[in-house]
Amino acid sequence: MENTSKAMIEARNVNVYYDDNHAIKNVDLDISSGTVTALIGPSGCGKSTFLRCINRMNDSIPSCRITGSITLDGQDIYDKAIDVVQLRARVGMVFQKPNPFPKSIYDNVAYGPRIHGFARNSAELDEIVFTSLQKSGLWNEVKDRLDTSGTALSGGQQQRLCIARTIAVNPEVILMDEPCSALDPIATAIIEELIEELRNRFAIVIVTHSMQQAARVSQKTAFFHLGEILEFGDTSEIFTNPKVEKTKDYITGRYG
Amino acid sequence: MLISSAAYFIGRRKALQSVQGDVRQLHSLPGHYGWFSAMTSLLPGLIIIVVWIIFGSVIVDNMTLASLAGLEGGGKIQSLSDLDRAIYLNDIHNLAVGDAISRPASDNLTFAAQYYLRAKENIFWIFSLSAVALSALTATLGIRKISPTMRSRNILERLILSGLALCSLLAVLTTVGIVSSLIFETLRFLDHVSLADFLLGLKWSPQTALRADQVGSSGAFGVIPLFAGTLLITVIALVFAVPVGLLSAIYMTEFASRGARAVFKPLLELLAGIPTVVYGFFAALVVAPFIRNSGDFLGLEIASESALAAGLVMGIMIIPLMSSLSDDVISSVPQSLRDASYGLGATKTETILNVIIPSALPGIVSAFLLAASRAIGETMIVVMAAGMAANLTANPLEAVTTVTVQIVALLTGDQEFNSAKTLSAFALGLALFIITLILNFIALKVVRKYQEQYD
Repeated sequence: MENTSKAMIEARNVNVYYDDNHAIKNVDLDISSGTVTALIGPSGCGKSTFLRCINRMNDSIPSCRITGSITLDGQDIYDKAIDVVQLRARVGMVFQKPNPFPKSIYDNVAYGPRIHGFARNSAELDEIVFTSLQKSGLWNEVKDRLDTSGTALSGGQQQRLCIARTIAVNPEVILMDEPCSALDPIATAIIEELIEELRNRFAIVIVTHSMQQAARVSQKTAFFHLGEILEFGDTSEIFTNPKVEKTKDYITGRYG
Repeated sequence: MLISSAAYFIGRRKALQSVQGDVRQLHSLPGHYGWFSAMTSLLPGLIIIVVWIIFGSVIVDNMTLASLAGLEGGGKIQSLSDLDRAIYLNDIHNLAVGDAISRPASDNLTFAAQYYLRAKENIFWIFSLSAVALSALTATLGIRKISPTMRSRNILERLILSGLALCSLLAVLTTVGIVSSLIFETLRFLDHVSLADFLLGLKWSPQTALRADQVGSSGAFGVIPLFAGTLLITVIALVFAVPVGLLSAIYMTEFASRGARAVFKPLLELLAGIPTVVYGFFAALVVAPFIRNSGDFLGLEIASESALAAGLVMGIMIIPLMSSLSDDVISSVPQSLRDASYGLGATKTETILNVIIPSALPGIVSAFLLAASRAIGETMIVVMAAGMAANLTANPLEAVTTVTVQIVALLTGDQEFNSAKTLSAFALGLALFIITLILNFIALKVVRKYQEQYD
């Protein structure tokens, strides 16, 4: 990719309030395509809140108020002209707990393409579903039982199904909110490999509590603390040579 | 009662004394010993009182009859048939309390009445005194047994357990009793009318002859018109209530703001609290004339008692049931599924149609079935709004009747027992009971089958 260095999501001076609670303070962050950006920091520091701002999932929370600007390819996503439905098709999300629909595996993946009308006929839909399952590494495990319920899969498989479901909409950005926190180490390793493969095609933002995971999968890391980004830079730099004392404490486990 | 509460305190103090006030040495808390003593005195007394309530009148009656045997002409009482003896006894009771009796008061009868009163009083005293005496006795025994090592806590637990079991047994027994009485009366009814005539007959006209030569003596007991009427009204009610109830539930859970919900929900549930009689006259006096007038306007002939009016009002009645049950199942759809759908760029309507309703479907189906069985069992609205005529028709503008209405009609007013007419009410009740039972059973099955889908 020629423009990997170009920031596709730029957050400037973002503030988020829940009623009187100032959850995010003056956050600036650039997210580039072809890169995995990890958001780390202690619980309650605003990582997930910030993540949910990027595809406006916080809209459904009545008490939530956002100021500042977040742009996707130069366009303010909180602009009135932006259709939140289209935004979410471009910025997909994978949640902490695997949440497949109680439908068949096929229907789970086909859900997004169907509501956005991506496929002209069932052959095209098949194509989308099959490639999405292949990209998520689930294809070999489920190709013989696409009509069984998605909820019957194991936790790790469910999470990969959720990733396949997100990929099927062909987004530009995938937001992952602690995607491995409900999984065992083996399933986690598989998902981490998957993230590495997906990096070439999507910009990925991942919230994680695991330092090792952030170090393994990400190229950029942002350290959140009490709603602020204290440090943002190359992952290798942050983990080997943190500039801020608090980052160092957190990474080495002395704090948090 | 007095003895029991006294026993509580005595038992408690005895327990404390036995360890010189050191509670830690007791196996159980002092209160447990108190309750143990109270129970030992209360239970035997209670048992005696229960025995007295159940068997007291029988004992008194038998004593009264026995006393008559020694009198002149009293011997023939023993030779009377059961029925006549019951009538004779009834006269004795009535005379004793000064009511009208069915024969001139003979000396024997007067004597018996007086004897009856005295026997009743004596028995009352015997039982009360023995209850008190037994209570005191067992209380003393119980208190004497108290010692620091006695496990009164465990004994109490067992007593409480059996008390709870007894209560649930009571509910089960009541059900069994009702069902078996229905079944036996239905069997007696089937002596008069064959099962095939009952289930397959197309005509309902429950008149039987008192005398053999009476006009219209041949009763017809075909239930088909009744069930057709029930079905018609139920369908009308459901067609009206299910969409309204379901859609309002969706509005409440997915769209309404917290404030709107706080206003709408109690109002909707208020509908459930209106007595059905009120719905009934609302149907008869407001809805039915309105439907008839609009029918006139459109050139339709509509009876003033129509299935449509009854069905509509019944629909209004089951809206709250439908909506609050669906509300519950829709809110129990996990938020994570909504997030997943929104996260993929689905709109609210797409999410509701594709994710929430399919996930909540089992619950919605069971809400539907419960609403249906409620509608089938409803009586008052139909009595007032749909009429009594057992027409076999699918036209909602005509008067129809339902199973429940006919049961009311059969059992109100003077009735002769043993006639097919009266007994048919039991048969109808049993049929209705079986149908609603099946509906409820299916509803439960559906819910169970799909329940494990999430978590």
